[in-house]
Amino acid sequence: MSLDLKVLLVIALVALASVAGLIWRARTGTAKKIHSGEVINLKEIGATKNGKPVEKFGERVTFLQFSSEMCSQCTQTARLFHELEAQHDDVLHIEVDITNRLDLANKFNILQTPTTLVLDKNGVVTSRIGGAAKPQTIQDELGSFHI
Amino acid sequence: MSEIKKTPAGIDPRGPRFGAAITSVLLLITVFLSLDKATEGSAYILLTVVTALFAVGAIFGNSKHPYGLIFKKLVRPNLAAPKELEDPRPPQFAQLIGLLVAGTGLVLGAFGVANGLTIAAAAAFIAAFLNAVFAFCLGCQIYVGLQRLGLIKKF
Repeated sequence: MSLDLKVLLVIALVALASVAGLIWRARTGTAKKIHSGEVINLKEIGATKNGKPVEKFGERVTFLQFSSEMCSQCTQTARLFHELEAQHDDVLHIEVDITNRLDLANKFNILQTPTTLVLDKNGVVTSRIGGAAKPQTIQDELGSFHI
Repeated sequence: MSEIKKTPAGIDPRGPRFGAAITSVLLLITVFLSLDKATEGSAYILLTVVTALFAVGAIFGNSKHPYGLIFKKLVRPNLAAPKELEDPRPPQFAQLIGLLVAGTGLVLGAFGVANGLTIAAAAAFIAAFLNAVFAFCLGCQIYVGLQRLGLIKKF
């Protein structure tokens, strides 16, 4: 193979990886509207917070974050939601580890973690955030729920 | 019951990314060398080295990996403290995936499968490059998917 062609192939590979990375970065952590009207069953997902079962949704919005063991971005995302919770009484963040709950992974068709479902005050799923939620996405979601 | 379990002591998240940057350069050189009959042998040797390094990372974790040690000794002292520490298991999982992909390349190369080594090295390059440049986390993306396919079993 000629040197020119080899160099060209290597450059093409780097370009391909760069484009893939840019697309991934633009899309990850953004919200998609959900209109299925699905209601989350807190018992079924085994939602706990500080060791206690969660029985009520947030009065304004609930962020239901699905995490797994091999996920460094899950911790970062959880920290963002914790900060939000500290600022707003009516916001609830629930984190569920699906490493041992494949039934939930299948039910909600989760491929990547974190995946966050945004729920209204009645537990109806309104959006889905795939990947580490961007701070702007979280603010936009919060803003979409008027008190 | 689904509460997050206790996690091992955190590591500086820039450590694994520093390692991924070196790995991606080595893999890119591997791809280049594998494109020519005259340098195929060198590509094989280089990919063997990269595979062995992936094995070290997969078995002992990034902090005991040579790149991790270089980062700790030479790079980290020149950086500000990280904003937050990271669970060491996700990058270790990524090393395991790297080991499997690069190892597959070596096996395909050994059996003389045309372009097998090149394709495996290119795939591993893309993952390492995305990790280094975009902080892409392979475990986040594929761990649950592999579990759902039944390729990873817990207990």
